[in-house]
Amino acid sequence: MRKIRILLADDHKLIRGGLRLLIEQQTDLTVVGEANDGRETVSLAKSFKPDVVVMDVGMPNLNGIEAALQITQANPEISIVMLSMHSDESYVLRALKAGAKGYLLKDSAESDLIKAVHAVADGKSFFSPAVSKVLLDDYVRKLKRSGAEDAYDLLTPREREILQLVAEGKSNKDVANLLNLSVYTVETHRSNIMEKLNLRGIPELILFAVRRGIIS
Amino acid sequence: MPTFSKNTEPALPRTPREDDLESRRDSKRLRRLLLIAFGWLLALLIGAGVDALISVRRLDRASQEVSRRFTARNRALSTIVVSVRIYDDQLERFLLQDQLQESAPDPADVTNKIAAVRAALLDFPPDRDSDEQLLLAAMQQQLQEEETSCAIVLAWRSDLRQQRAHQFIGQQLIPWRSRIFELSAQISSLDERKLALENLAVATRFQLLESRLVWLVSLALIAGVLMSLICGWYILRLERQARLRYQALARSRLDLESLSARLVEAQEEERRSISRELHDEVGQSLGALLVEVGHLSKLVPPDDRVTQAQIAQIKSVAESAVKSIRDIALLLRPPMLDDLGLVPALEWQAREISRRSDMEVEVHSENVSEALGDETKVTIYRLVQEALNNAATHAFAKNAKVTIAQNSDKITVEITDDGHGFDPGRQRGMGILGMEERVRRLGGTLTIESAPGKGATMKAELPLHKADSP
Repeated sequence: MRKIRILLADDHKLIRGGLRLLIEQQTDLTVVGEANDGRETVSLAKSFKPDVVVMDVGMPNLNGIEAALQITQANPEISIVMLSMHSDESYVLRALKAGAKGYLLKDSAESDLIKAVHAVADGKSFFSPAVSKVLLDDYVRKLKRSGAEDAYDLLTPREREILQLVAEGKSNKDVANLLNLSVYTVETHRSNIMEKLNLRGIPELILFAVRRGIIS
Repeated sequence: MPTFSKNTEPALPRTPREDDLESRRDSKRLRRLLLIAFGWLLALLIGAGVDALISVRRLDRASQEVSRRFTARNRALSTIVVSVRIYDDQLERFLLQDQLQESAPDPADVTNKIAAVRAALLDFPPDRDSDEQLLLAAMQQQLQEEETSCAIVLAWRSDLRQQRAHQFIGQQLIPWRSRIFELSAQISSLDERKLALENLAVATRFQLLESRLVWLVSLALIAGVLMSLICGWYILRLERQARLRYQALARSRLDLESLSARLVEAQEEERRSISRELHDEVGQSLGALLVEVGHLSKLVPPDDRVTQAQIAQIKSVAESAVKSIRDIALLLRPPMLDDLGLVPALEWQAREISRRSDMEVEVHSENVSEALGDETKVTIYRLVQEALNNAATHAFAKNAKVTIAQNSDKITVEITDDGHGFDPGRQRGMGILGMEERVRRLGGTLTIESAPGKGATMKAELPLHKADSP
């Protein structure tokens, strides 16, 4: 079986060492390189073409988010897991917009990293449960204070189904095949979902799905 | 134990306060002196004026009296002379009635005329001096004799009258008349001499008054000039003092401004370095510790409950340490500013406040550039942080709104809340002072609008420099 090739990027050697130890205990995972800052990560990603980049958000010389953006623009097939101290949606959204598929909190990295790497290597998304919780809490609190209703309730069961598939990273064609619909119908559903939830773009849609615990 | 009493103050030779006190005492003394001098000058001028007025009036009265007396005497004398002439004329015509071909006057008429002479004599003003009295007495005596002889003459029969008339006229009447005229001329010349003397006295008094006035006016003039000199000097001194004080004030304000600017700078730098230390060193070590603990728990067999519990305990302690260190570091220098840019950092902060308090915060932004200067970003961030914290903790606001908009030459931040509000004229805590300082350093303006019960609006306008432009 082909091993999943991983590039580790963190400006702290201790953290990198710990992560490497964790990864190398898995038989199907291997670390192909370690980068110390954002710039180095971009150049190593270009030369090693790893399957997954596990990267800290806050790094010197180009932060993790900028680095992620450059990597996904140059090599869209590389999946990125962001490591962060922050569960706030500003960070999550920025990471998603930069093309990251996974978002892990550093304090839960040790338990979730392996799951996250497998998930993103498989083309799925992965978010630390704590992130989903914070996002949901913020969302619920806001709804409660503003007295607005939860836009999710406005969705039909079919739309919810499509929302989940899209958030998981499926293309319109995949969704159409899975649900036995035409691509055109899927597109209509999608734009209805975006309108009902007042979302702009896939990253916000993914964020919404994470918040609602539709994907993790 | 240290005591903070006045005794512990270092004994400086002179403090600015003492200097100030002394100069104030000086000024007070000088002011009092000037007031007294002005009083004197005024009194002098009023005294001189009143004195001149009274003296002139008195002199005027005296000279009027002199001329009145002279005129009265003159009139009385001429009345005497005229009445004597009339009487003489009547008597002559009576005596010569036989020679002259005209009607003779009545003897009673003649007696009347001599009575008129006596009346005229008695009419002479009573305030006579001894010389006048003497001459008048002589006149009276003459008149007495005249009356006696007149009575006799009037009683003469016609023949006697024809016989003696010429003789009487030549030997009695004419010499008598001449005598009366001579006496009256003497009185007149006496009066004239007296008038001259009295006029001289008035003139002398007038001269005295004149010289006194000249003296007083020159005194007042000299005092006035002296006092204007002193006043001028005093004003110059005040001006100099005011200028010096203003300069000192301006200098100390400048010092204060640069000091507070340095304080803000130092504070930011300090926060940044502590935050970095905490985050990079302590935080990362703890992070690594957590990873190691994770390994450890995998190495220990799962059925070793005691050790596993111990490891879980270590893990939870480390986790709570990570969390508190992260919170502290975030408060000191939020990495969001560097990681995400200004607007997401503000949104993060808004949510953070919403999580911690009962206040819901909305953030609106309009074309805010990602490439703002670090100082501008930090200033706006701290401004919003301070305003939101105040709104949530002091004003108990339920909603707050942050609006941030950028145009070609400035960036405007407005934070509005619906809390209790305050009086910005009076309540200005350290936080607001710090904000003003930060904004002022960037050449911007900060306005705070609030009133008790009316919420608060804080608005900052920061000019954009070339580095900040999109």
